[in-house]
Amino acid sequence: MPKACFNALLAGAVLALAVPAHAELTFSDPWLRAVPPVSPTMAGYATLNNTGEDTVIITGVSTPVAGHTMLHDVETAADGSRRMVHLHHLAIPAGESLVLAPGNRHLMLMKLTQVPAPGDSVEVCFHLNGGQDACAAFPVKRASQSDG
Amino acid sequence: MRKLPYILPVLLALLVAGCGKQESDLPVNTRLGGEFTLTDHNGEPFSQAQLKGKVSILFFGYTHCPDICPAVLARVAQVYRQLQEAGEAGQVQPVFITFDPERDTAEHLKEYLPWFKADIIGLTGSLAEIREVATQYGVVFIKDQAEQDYLFTHSDYIYLLDDQGRVRKLYPADFTIDEVVTDAKSLL
Ligand SMILES: [Cu+2]
Repeated sequence: MPKACFNALLAGAVLALAVPAHAELTFSDPWLRAVPPVSPTMAGYATLNNTGEDTVIITGVSTPVAGHTMLHDVETAADGSRRMVHLHHLAIPAGESLVLAPGNRHLMLMKLTQVPAPGDSVEVCFHLNGGQDACAAFPVKRASQSDG
Repeated sequence: MRKLPYILPVLLALLVAGCGKQESDLPVNTRLGGEFTLTDHNGEPFSQAQLKGKVSILFFGYTHCPDICPAVLARVAQVYRQLQEAGEAGQVQPVFITFDPERDTAEHLKEYLPWFKADIIGLTGSLAEIREVATQYGVVFIKDQAEQDYLFTHSDYIYLLDDQGRVRKLYPADFTIDEVVTDAKSLL
């Protein structure tokens, strides 16, 4: 290997190290709950793992099948009634995981342009602070283990 | 700790009694429930009296709800299928009451519910009628302020009714399928 080339590679490697550690977001057991084809909305779930060195902040979510996708939380009132609230962003500290599960925090796909059927798979992209996207294929299922 | 030896036989006795039961020992909840008339998914009047003779699994929700409601519908459908496999589905009727009559019309319920394959009867009506039934069952629902795509704050219990239409048990939305199957069978 020519020396100049080696140096360039080395410089590149050093530069890569100097850049703040990449936000790393991985997904365990991602899925979308199958709903009847006349449904205008559907929900998605997964465990989000921050395998990087920095806190990851999710600033938004999008998918090709929904006109509008949001992160929702579920609040329980003193009388036991529950409501969904919009989460504008969600922070996951380095090394931590965050669970999106039925009756809990979830992805809310609204204004569906098409209702994917069980067996389909939908790409869901999470927009992170810093401008990157973390995307994963979410299979559509009638139910999953995380259904409890 | 010294009390433990005394508690254990009692627990065992309770367990044995529980396993051996033939007749349902589910208490009748006299404070909840009662007669009502709404409109079913075929647009026909439907009165609670029509449920008599069958054990029913009654629950409230709305079809624009993506998280808890379809989860409950899917789980009720699983209960129904388990009873079907046991040859007892004919005596059990799932009933879904919407509190969103504006969007959940009879026609919409008719399109929405069959997907769950559990022979679910969908009920709608005027807001006043639905509010009255909700009150009978202690269900709270509040339409959240929003122009479009409004949501509801709501309680999400599931009610097991016996063949006389009396409330015998309430379950949370994340109920155990086996528990409801066992309880429903105990009422047959
Ligand atoms: Cu939601």
